[in-house]
Amino acid sequence: MTAEPMTDAPGGYFGRALVVDVGTGRATVVKLSDRVLRDHLGGVGLGAWLLTELAPVGVDPLAPEAPLAFCFSPLVGTPLTTSAKFAVVAKSPLTGLLTDALASSHFAISGKLTGNDAIVVRGACTRPSILLVDGAGARVEPADDVWGHSAAEAEAALKKRLGAGWRIAAIGTAGERGVRYATVSHDGRHAGRGGLGAVMGSKKLKAVAVRAATKVAPADRDAVLAASRDLRSRSLGKATAKYRELGTLANLLAFNALSTLPTRNFTAATFEQAPRLAAEDISDLRKVARNSCASCSIGCEHIYAAKGGKKARVEYENVFALGPMCGVSDPDDVLAASARCDELGLDTISAGGTIAWAMECAERGLLDAPWLRFGDGAALLRALDEIGAGTGIGPLLAEGSRRAAERVGAGSADFAPHVKGMEMPGYEPRTMHAMALGLAVNARGADHNRSGAYEADLSGDLDRLDGGQAHVAAAVETEDRAAVMDSMILCKFLRGVFTEPFDEWAALLCPVTGWDVDGAELRATARRIVALKRAYNLREGWTAADDWLPERLLSEPVQVGSGREASLTPQRLRRMIDGYYAARGLDTQGRPVPSGDGAGSGAGQ
Amino acid sequence: MGTSKAGLPWHGSTLLRRTVGVVARGVAGPVVVVRAPDQPLPELPPDVEIREDDQEGLGPLQGLAIGLHALRDVADVAFCCSTDMPFLHTAFVSRVVEAMDDDHDVVLPVANGHRQPLAAAYRPSLAVEIDDLLAAGRLKPAFLFDRCRVLRLSDDDLVADRRLAAADPSLDSLINVNAPADYEQALARPAPVVRVECFGTLARNGHRGVRAVQAATIAAAAQAADLDFDRHVVAAVNGEQVTRDGATPLVSGDTVTFVSADAGG
Repeated sequence: MTAEPMTDAPGGYFGRALVVDVGTGRATVVKLSDRVLRDHLGGVGLGAWLLTELAPVGVDPLAPEAPLAFCFSPLVGTPLTTSAKFAVVAKSPLTGLLTDALASSHFAISGKLTGNDAIVVRGACTRPSILLVDGAGARVEPADDVWGHSAAEAEAALKKRLGAGWRIAAIGTAGERGVRYATVSHDGRHAGRGGLGAVMGSKKLKAVAVRAATKVAPADRDAVLAASRDLRSRSLGKATAKYRELGTLANLLAFNALSTLPTRNFTAATFEQAPRLAAEDISDLRKVARNSCASCSIGCEHIYAAKGGKKARVEYENVFALGPMCGVSDPDDVLAASARCDELGLDTISAGGTIAWAMECAERGLLDAPWLRFGDGAALLRALDEIGAGTGIGPLLAEGSRRAAERVGAGSADFAPHVKGMEMPGYEPRTMHAMALGLAVNARGADHNRSGAYEADLSGDLDRLDGGQAHVAAAVETEDRAAVMDSMILCKFLRGVFTEPFDEWAALLCPVTGWDVDGAELRATARRIVALKRAYNLREGWTAADDWLPERLLSEPVQVGSGREASLTPQRLRRMIDGYYAARGLDTQGRPVPSGDGAGSGAGQ
Repeated sequence: MGTSKAGLPWHGSTLLRRTVGVVARGVAGPVVVVRAPDQPLPELPPDVEIREDDQEGLGPLQGLAIGLHALRDVADVAFCCSTDMPFLHTAFVSRVVEAMDDDHDVVLPVANGHRQPLAAAYRPSLAVEIDDLLAAGRLKPAFLFDRCRVLRLSDDDLVADRRLAAADPSLDSLINVNAPADYEQALARPAPVVRVECFGTLARNGHRGVRAVQAATIAAAAQAADLDFDRHVVAAVNGEQVTRDGATPLVSGDTVTFVSADAGG
């Protein structure tokens, strides 16, 4: 099947999603109407719509029928900075709910220029395979030779086999083994959260390869070029200096000073050895390169030298999860662990969180792994190896902290660091009450990318230790902003350059699509996307009890730098959640109230 | 003084702004300012509640009652002070407030043998008791202390607290400025010594590490650290509240952390 663009597609779109059954090799096209695209934009919004339309109700995330969607956006292929991103969307084997993860670079451009706004994979292969999509359509080829290899090795081997022009998203061995927090990666960047790699592995699909076959046509090319020049210029200012100069690891010492650095499985909010992992120091001592994603002028990616001549891409979340969260302070161990996660294809946040939980279990005598102790870098690496190899305690930890705690019992669920099954990122909810709410109610689970409420806590505009109605408003606002940025798609590291974000985003979208969209419409779009995700989750078994935080965070205070204790009571969290439900127009149980303003129409296979 | 003490300049801020900020940090709760009707006040943080004392000549108990009434449903204990204490330290506020226990209704410092009813902690529920006293024309704080359970803290009791002993061993927190000469003398003292730390990109260009500077406010600390305290920067004092308010007062021993406003992500 060749990629014929729909004749009535808006600018920046092809108006179609390619749906491939990798079991049969059969490909079909879902027409994406102007209404569907305008209502959901692309990326995670379009992915949520596709999943709602195409996934069987109650499907096992690892069953052949479960769809796995690679979704592009209207901005991909334009010169707008940071727009070369794609979303991978599926029902998560970690949470049992919707998960959507972003990754960047050339796969996004080539994938979209196959002539599709999304590529959806269904079915399962009978042997290790790859899916190829280009202008000639879709086909499935055997890939036994790369099964058992890391994603990077597989990507390199497949590039050699397929030739120039192919871009490849692949899984590591963790995805092959069904680790519930395995990633899909491209060019070393991961669509990381929620176990998308396990979904792909369950289909015996090692990689998806795409090759550009056409061009994208914005509605007003000159206006897009002018907007691109302006945005690029603004992207080089103070608002993005942190990402350019030090990367997100610059958060580590700042968070430590602000008592928001989760340490030793959330038993502390400061890590006494944090300076050993400081970007301010190790960037001078170890940094070997700084990279950008395709079409990006920020260049946030900082590559560090790791032990044994290896290199590691370092982000705050990697270092938090594999460092302070596990009590490990030796930068060699943390960088090695980060590189190991990359090789295996593991989400570092879930890997670190699950291992930190296991370290606490072992120290309490709940887990027969006396070698596993907080602060022991060698133990951290061994745990990662066992997860990757499926040996020792690996199979238990491959399930994630929620399922593992259910098996271990003995009260270990109280300190399992997850929301909805997804492990917590590096933000201490007891000292960040807006973020606490964001983490509790987010559709994906404990997540800092779909809820950026930490921005409010760190803004100085509200009392971060005294959550109330202002925190509710902040959580709603930042969640809405994320919904649009993740659907258009624009990198969140740009967020500081926008002063009136919805209006400015609309001004970018207009010349690309030809729509007369404005900021008010984008706000409505954001609400629609957030509601759609919630509706999908409700359909798949979500209940109000899932919008909550781990018991430890609600029963144990944590000390801040001044010596004062900070806490978050269940009553305060309940009040904020109730406020969130009211602000979202949900009922008291957090369920969407039917309004006719969601998804539903526009599909035609 | 011949002028309202509340608005007296204080190292780039005002006496009342300083007092409000120090008390807020010491109690970690809401702050109420009681003023005379239409009394002009200097700029204060937006979360400070303003109440009016519309009956003149009734002395400190009247203002105390109004403030305590405002806090009856939101706090178990209230620190009450006047506006003219330029060296009030957060450690003093915390020491007095934390001394309150189930057996007492008032924590009353007795420094140098003098009772300090306007640097003391009270149960907000005492507001009703004070109303009765005022109605009976019994306007002195001593009448209140006769009718409730008072924990008296001597100088030695106060500095038995390690934090206060380190921060304010001579109990300068209790110094008032009652005359222009007092004010000039107080103003001539150097600003407190605080520590400043910059992180992330702010730590570039030789700004890494802890530095000691003299600064009475966050803005002054930023200036002393050669830092633009603009919209791209936020600060926190002792790892607590994040703020963009340069007028936030500092006390000796504070650590001020400056980070990029886009922390996170």
